Amino acid sequence: MKAPLWRAFLRLFSVQGVWNYERMLGIGMGYAALPLLQEMRRQDPAGYREAVARQAEFFNAQPYLAGLALGATTRAEYQGVPGEKILRLRTALCGPLGALGDQLFWTGILPALVSAALVMVAFGLAGAGLLGFLVVFNGIRVAVEWWGLRAGWASGLQVSEVLHKSWLPKAVALAGPVAGFAMGVALPVVAGWLVADLDLVVMAGTLGAAGIAVVMARVNPRVTGLRFTLGVATIILLSAWVGV
Amino acid sequence: MIDIPVEVVVALLGWGTLVGLDLVSLPQIMISRPIVVGAVAGWLSGDLATGVTVGVIMELFALESVAIGAARYPDYGAATMGAVVASTGIEGHGLTGIAVVLGLVLVSVGGWTLNRLRHANATAVRRREASLRAGDPLAVQALQYGGLLRDLARSVTLSVVALLSGVVVRTAPALPHWAASGLLMVVIGGGLAGAASGAIRSAGRGRRLRWLGVGALLGMLLLVLRS
Repeated sequence: MKAPLWRAFLRLFSVQGVWNYERMLGIGMGYAALPLLQEMRRQDPAGYREAVARQAEFFNAQPYLAGLALGATTRAEYQGVPGEKILRLRTALCGPLGALGDQLFWTGILPALVSAALVMVAFGLAGAGLLGFLVVFNGIRVAVEWWGLRAGWASGLQVSEVLHKSWLPKAVALAGPVAGFAMGVALPVVAGWLVADLDLVVMAGTLGAAGIAVVMARVNPRVTGLRFTLGVATIILLSAWVGV
Repeated sequence: MIDIPVEVVVALLGWGTLVGLDLVSLPQIMISRPIVVGAVAGWLSGDLATGVTVGVIMELFALESVAIGAARYPDYGAATMGAVVASTGIEGHGLTGIAVVLGLVLVSVGGWTLNRLRHANATAVRRREASLRAGDPLAVQALQYGGLLRDLARSVTLSVVALLSGVVVRTAPALPHWAASGLLMVVIGGGLAGAASGAIRSAGRGRRLRWLGVGALLGMLLLVLRS
């Protein structure tokens, strides 16, 4: 079963290829499941088509952990588990895999590594920083994705228990503080690097603008850095245009 | 007229397309992060330093938004490429401010195209609903390849728009000094504020907030030691 697992693993890289508001990752999951269901196609053609239909149903999770659900539900198809139970398992996995994956990758590892890269850029090590970011992030991502697919395939319906006892919850608990620390280090270092070559007036204006924007964001979270910047820039450009 | 060699234009469009695909569809290996896009676009344009600077500023804005599942999020890939095109080859910080402003406008345009893509994907899925219910593997494959092709078309279009916008900005009449300086202040200040707000918001009130504070103290110490 190693070759189909590999093919399914490679297909997981495009699991969001047809992301939509109705089935979300569903079609991508169905596409990744096809190599794993090949054996069933020969043994039970009717069951195979039912399984394909199920695997392409609605699914949503953090994409790098989707393999865990893919492995578990396709294994369950071979174990003769009733279709409704497999669908319930898919639905039940959406929440935990989304929450754990988002906390581990999107608000943990990613901002931590981007912050580390920013610090390295500020210290004149742009090449090493960017290469290190891409290598480390993707090394972790590939390892987690492969682990998830294999763990799901090995556990079938017991996947929730495996997930609960795995290293994942501990890693999630660690990722948040590490990301917070890294972002904390990066912000003053990058600020210092960006304003280093500016004259005093522009430097003071920059830090003033940052302070005002942070306060405005605290008062009204809808005033993001992007919106603040576009708003003030519009005023500056209009003033320049009318010749103020 | 585009004042960039043809081979650089082709390379930039190729790069913009790749990072557009990387954002969601394939393979999501984070080459679409602005800091990476900016450095590579700067290197392709022959001005790595400016590319890195623009990439870092755009990255600060990107750190404020988290690309989670069904949330609508901006597309920083081609936008950063357009901002780099707008600012490269010019001495000093003259164009950095307006270039980043252009990039931020393109970010919003990119986010809108992503939303349209998701609706187009949903329409395609609805058209094949019967085949999907029947478990037709060919329907699943056709939808998957169709989705990737649609995102490819979106990414190519966005790259062309970003590149042309960048060329327009770099060849436009120069802004008055005060306006160029003002834009530079607001893009760096806004970026720092965005990253700080994102860091504070995601830190909540627990352990992560304390570690954010510890990190900020260490960052300030590094800054002092370095100066």
